[in-house]
Amino acid sequence: MSQKQGEMVQGTLEMLILKTLALEPMHGYGVALRIEQVSAGVFRVNPGSLLPALARMERAGSVKSEWRSTENNRRAKYYMLTAVGRKALTDETAAWGRQTAAIARILEA
Amino acid sequence: MAWLRNLTRGFSALFSPERVEHEMDEELRGFLEASAEAKRRAGMTAEDAARAARVEMGSQNAVKHHIRSAVWETVVENLWQDLRYSVRMLAKSPAFTLVAVLSLALGIGANTAIFSLMDVVLLRSLPVDEPGQLVLFGDGRAGGSTDNLPNQSWRLFSYPFYRSFSQKNEVFSGVTAIKSIEFSTHGSVAGAGREMMRASLVSGTYFSVLGVNAGRGRMLTEADDQTPGSGTVAVASYSWWQRHGNDPAAVGKTVAIEGTDYTIVGVAPKGFFGFVVGESPDFWIPLSMEKEISPGWNGLEKKWFQSLYLVARLKPGVTAAQASANTNLLFKQYIRSEYLGQSPSQKDLADVEHAHIDLTSAARGLSRLRRQFILPLEILTTISGLVLLIACANLASLLLARGAVRSREFAMRMAIGATRSRIVRQLLTESCMIALLGAALGVASAWKASHLLLTMASHSAEVAAMDVSPDLRVLGFTLILTVFTALLFGMAPAIRATRLDLNGSLKQSRTAAAPSSRFSLARGLIVVQIALSLVLLAAASLFLRSLVNLANVDTGFNKQNVLVFQLDEYSANLPLDARLVNLEQRIEQRVQSVPGVQAASFSMFSFDQGEWSDPVTVQGIPQTPENSHDVLYNVVGNGFFSTMSLPIVAGRGFDSRDKIDSPQVAIINQTMAHKFFPDSSPIGHHFGIGSDPAGSGSIEIVGVVKNAKYVTLEESPEAAAYFPYAQRVQYFGNFEVRYAGDAHQIIPAVRDAILQVNPDVPVSAVETLAEQVDASTSNQRIVARLSGFFSVLATFLVCIGIYGLLSYAVARRTSEIGVRMALGARRSNVLWLILREILVLVAIGIAIGVPLALAGNRLAAKLLFGLSPADPVSLCAAIALMFAIATLAGYLPARKASLVEPTVALRCE
Repeated sequence: MSQKQGEMVQGTLEMLILKTLALEPMHGYGVALRIEQVSAGVFRVNPGSLLPALARMERAGSVKSEWRSTENNRRAKYYMLTAVGRKALTDETAAWGRQTAAIARILEA
Repeated sequence: MAWLRNLTRGFSALFSPERVEHEMDEELRGFLEASAEAKRRAGMTAEDAARAARVEMGSQNAVKHHIRSAVWETVVENLWQDLRYSVRMLAKSPAFTLVAVLSLALGIGANTAIFSLMDVVLLRSLPVDEPGQLVLFGDGRAGGSTDNLPNQSWRLFSYPFYRSFSQKNEVFSGVTAIKSIEFSTHGSVAGAGREMMRASLVSGTYFSVLGVNAGRGRMLTEADDQTPGSGTVAVASYSWWQRHGNDPAAVGKTVAIEGTDYTIVGVAPKGFFGFVVGESPDFWIPLSMEKEISPGWNGLEKKWFQSLYLVARLKPGVTAAQASANTNLLFKQYIRSEYLGQSPSQKDLADVEHAHIDLTSAARGLSRLRRQFILPLEILTTISGLVLLIACANLASLLLARGAVRSREFAMRMAIGATRSRIVRQLLTESCMIALLGAALGVASAWKASHLLLTMASHSAEVAAMDVSPDLRVLGFTLILTVFTALLFGMAPAIRATRLDLNGSLKQSRTAAAPSSRFSLARGLIVVQIALSLVLLAAASLFLRSLVNLANVDTGFNKQNVLVFQLDEYSANLPLDARLVNLEQRIEQRVQSVPGVQAASFSMFSFDQGEWSDPVTVQGIPQTPENSHDVLYNVVGNGFFSTMSLPIVAGRGFDSRDKIDSPQVAIINQTMAHKFFPDSSPIGHHFGIGSDPAGSGSIEIVGVVKNAKYVTLEESPEAAAYFPYAQRVQYFGNFEVRYAGDAHQIIPAVRDAILQVNPDVPVSAVETLAEQVDASTSNQRIVARLSGFFSVLATFLVCIGIYGLLSYAVARRTSEIGVRMALGARRSNVLWLILREILVLVAIGIAIGVPLALAGNRLAAKLLFGLSPADPVSLCAAIALMFAIATLAGYLPARKASLVEPTVALRCE
């Protein structure tokens, strides 16, 4: 039910997921929750876009998954970063930094 | 390696759909629980938390759909589902499926068959090395020999020119010479029985220039073609070798052809039939042996004996312009120095000025069939294209009606979450499936049909032997055609069918259906079909009438009860003198004594067998442009005119007075008599062959014979002259016999009689004169037959379309009809109400079709005889037929509507 503030820049969702998973392996809801908390509620990711993104990234090899038990002893699918994913994160972060810096310069000019 | 992982994971998912589904469910459930858990911890009640989590997620099915669409295998999965669903839907309505598949099979099959003919006759390249580098000198539109000095583009060349040119030219890597006609000879292999052998005479460079490597043994080389009479070797064709049981010892065997022994040095590779499309020689023999193969062709050292095609291979990097410049330079030098003497005449100088060589591409070989068939093939392509269009329009209207019937099904599927694009895709899958089934059936029948077409089109066995089975190119063409067809007929109905008002459709009320745009699209399609089939009907009636005109042409001779035997006198090994004449006379006499034979004669030509033509100079009559046209000549036996039933109208026929040492005589036809002697009798006058006045006294006219057709039925009256063979000794290939009674008994008796006189004169084939005459119009006949066949079928399709449309309309309007009848409308009013609808469509269709037909028929003008393309009778016949058939197709549903019981109709609401 995210409002206007939740609109994400095209293509940034995968970068955010990569960054979140870089800390530790997490299940789907954990990723959504972490993104919402860290962004202080600005980004709310609904499962309709999060889970397809994870499926896509898994197919591309930047994350892998395994079934584990949660803290409440339930089975859940945990996602973790691969070497490919780590490299993708570095690259995308660098590219993002360059782009935002450039945009900022333009806006301040 | 990412793509590999993607691929393997995708496949493993494809093959275990339950596991994938289960994991997805479990992950979603886990997500929901975790979400609810978090909300509970934030202070909600367990019930509220669970509901809030579900609300946040939305439709689980939608989420799953999104996850699925992130991976490729889903596309395959959907396709598979669509296919299974389509098969079920098609199996559920077998009548619809049958009509749809059959009409497409007809359309696609006809197009495939005609395209594969086109491919063989017009498009396919020679199976040689780099065919694009090959050029032919001239356009190949001539055959035989000439001693003219043409003042235009040259087509035939002499052997001395070939020799000189191939030494001097700088632009070709090789030049080869090919005798412009194929020889039908007789010979035997290693002492076995005599058989017919078609021989092509070629220069030693033939195989190396074409770039054809030996299938077995070796091909001809330059060494085989050095001095006249020295190259007693032959290369067998693959098909000849195949007919002789793929004999592994064939190479090295001796074949005796017309009294000379040749050693078979090799077998050509499979698929190589020679340079001329439609001819397939059994042997290639060096040009050095031309005199031995046929004594009339003794021109190796004569620069005026021009009888060869020249084919050359361009050096790499040489442009067509450079090649043409160099070729023509050498050509002019050659004819100036060799053909013109010290003091050339003004005419010769002018002729040389205009003489040149056009280099034409020889990549596809030389195809006389191309010229013969290009117009019929164009017409047939148009016709079969129209049939396919009609089939498509027909199918589109069937699908529209089906879409209307299935609207509830679509509404239901969309209501439970199917997207419109998904339904359109599924409908298109159904269309593609129908199209593919139709194509499969069509290609299967095209396989047979194109062969049948070829046999119908040509009565020569070698043409019919051409390989027209569809190859990969043809199949590719069909595939493209099929997909195009499926989109053409499937797209509009699919889009229409899914443009739904969900609520209205689900309620499905028959009364609610307003005259929708779907219905007007269906009407439009009917109009298109009517217009197109009118074009076909008009063309067909035009071709049929033209054929009737041809059949009614007066040939002059009586074509009934005449047999034409093809034989080979040269095999008897007699010289060209009185001994040969004696043999011929003995054969004629012996055959005439066969019971049932009324007359028999040798002749150079019977009908449509080529021509010998030259201008004529009549003694005492000055040459004018009107009388210097060519005259057709024939050499015949004394019994020729009675055999052909051509009456002598003045003077006498040939008889025993005309001997080799008596004065030369001729019999001329009425046209020639009228041309030169409009007011007096030509008997006793003299003429000579050629335009030289010096020879004008050499031949005396002793008789005048009735006019006849000589080369084609369409020809206007031609001047002709006949000579007795006793004075022009030659080997004949034609022997005509007029008979009474049963031809099946006459034929073996005549064969026996010839065999008794001389066992060395083989008779190869027999046909009737009527068959020869019919064969000359085979193009017209095949076009008439096929256009008739197709137009009847197209009209039948239109009937199905009209019937379907009206039945649907009647079903929709049942209650309206009930109300009308309850209010006092009579049955005839109702009948007219429905019928009027279709008559309007027919009228519009005809109004569109008539100008189309007139425009289309102009394409066919050249193939028509005695008719204008705008022939009103044909057009009116087509319109009347169309009107009658369409009314009939509309009458049945209209009658059904008029029989509606008002009480029943009203109660069913």
